[in-house]
Amino acid sequence: MIDVVNLTKRYRGDAVVEALTFSVKPGTVTGFLGPNGSGKTTTARMILGLTSPDAGRATVGGRRYRDLDFPLREIGALLNPGAVNPARTAIEHLRWLAAANRLPAARAELVIGMVGLDAAAGRKVAGFSLGMRQRLGIAAALIGDPATLLLDEPINGLDPEGIRWIRTFMQGLADEGRTVFVSSHLMSEMALTAGELVVIGRGRLIAAESVKSFVARVDSTVRVRSPQLDDLEVALAETGATVWRSGEALEVVGMPIEHVGSVAGRIGAVLYELSSQHASLEDAFMRLTGELCEYTAEAVA
Amino acid sequence: MTGPVGSSFLMEWHKLRPLHKTSRTVIVAVLLAVSVSAAVAAAMAAGADSMTSLQRLRFDSVGTSLQGVNAAVLAVAAFGVLTVTREYSTGMIATTFLAQPSRLRVLAAKLGTHSAVALVSGALACVAAFAVGQALLGAGGLGVGWDAADLPRALGAGAIYLVLICAWGVAIGALTRSSSSAIIWLATLLVVAPVVIQILPESVVHAAGRWLPSQIGMHAMATRPDPHSFGAWAGLAVLAGYVVVTLAAGAWRMARTDP
Repeated sequence: MIDVVNLTKRYRGDAVVEALTFSVKPGTVTGFLGPNGSGKTTTARMILGLTSPDAGRATVGGRRYRDLDFPLREIGALLNPGAVNPARTAIEHLRWLAAANRLPAARAELVIGMVGLDAAAGRKVAGFSLGMRQRLGIAAALIGDPATLLLDEPINGLDPEGIRWIRTFMQGLADEGRTVFVSSHLMSEMALTAGELVVIGRGRLIAAESVKSFVARVDSTVRVRSPQLDDLEVALAETGATVWRSGEALEVVGMPIEHVGSVAGRIGAVLYELSSQHASLEDAFMRLTGELCEYTAEAVA
Repeated sequence: MTGPVGSSFLMEWHKLRPLHKTSRTVIVAVLLAVSVSAAVAAAMAAGADSMTSLQRLRFDSVGTSLQGVNAAVLAVAAFGVLTVTREYSTGMIATTFLAQPSRLRVLAAKLGTHSAVALVSGALACVAAFAVGQALLGAGGLGVGWDAADLPRALGAGAIYLVLICAWGVAIGALTRSSSSAIIWLATLLVVAPVVIQILPESVVHAAGRWLPSQIGMHAMATRPDPHSFGAWAGLAVLAGYVVVTLAAGAWRMARTDP
């Protein structure tokens, strides 16, 4: 459980994160979406006590990160995968983390097995690929068997097999009843994993809701194919819908599929196809963050 | 040891245990102390025949055998510096703060564990330097042996001197967050300043020289008093004062400025 209330961070007067409020609930994967530079990492660092907010607060299970005596037991975090001493071996890295939070040393062996790095346990991190470092970072996040996980861009540097692995892995953690908060700038990836979304743009909250309702915010398109395409186009335009040609079909925006069917019936048009084209998460995201960016640009001008 | 404070110490101890670059500076320090002491003692023993009886009377056999300790200070200081600055340069400090969010606790743990290592290796360096130095001085009839007056004080003060230097390294590391600037500061204070002060008028040397860490260390390990110095303990107290002030500044920066 992560609660963020009115969280604000400014650097030299510029707001990087502005009055952000949302909460992340257990039992599902929550995607944290935003374009690069939208304040995702700053928000994550404020939740983790690494960056001090200028206003507001962030809590994990009701307590501020800095007030946790053994934080790794409450929340596991994956931040910059480079944050490891390269001269240390993977297992040494996990052992000092275990020692830091009074966890049995056996946890280090256990989590390194969970991420499939057993064979590389005794090797120095300096020789690790980015994908291996990501896995080590995830092992570190799991060391305290935490109820909450915060993963910042976990699929960076992973190969397709690794991406599939982490997808199932995160899903499994959420199914166990954990809170899983995953930031990404890849909408397509979140569409596959996340049930809930927190979307930000320019440090402000755009949406905090389920993937389904977020996508539904964007008008879906209705596609119609008919031999009487010209008649249909006129009839639909007269009823106020936005219509345009797309090859041998019409794309209709701003009108429910039932109404499109009724209009076709009224003029007696033969239909070859009447289908609803659902907006993808990516469409919804681009549409909503695009609006925000335009709004900000105008405000500046 | 079961609370967060104890586990912070355990964390730093675990990081120290594998003997990597940082820990090697300790070994370098001990080797430097012993070899420089040996070189100084050998040189003194070689010139022993030409010494007058007054010179022999005034000769500080204990202090001479411990001269090498001052050669080890930079390595000991680097040991303290690197525990902080290496974490900032690799970004690992974020991982450390994730494991232990109280930054002052982290600093205290680094200070405690590294001071403990500095104490053990500092004591070892002093005893080894004395043993080797005496063996060589003995050849010139300048040895005093293990029952020399003030020897326990000289050895103890030498070890404490190195602990304070290590703690100063940790403090300057926390203040600068950069290995190179911290080492430059320490090299200036510990090595360059004593050389520069030599070219100043004698009155200045006598007045200002006693405040230099290297002079404090040298007089802490001497068994012949010098009127232009603090005594052994007063000198170490002055050095401890430098450490406390720097540490307060370093702790303030560590707690206030995010990594």
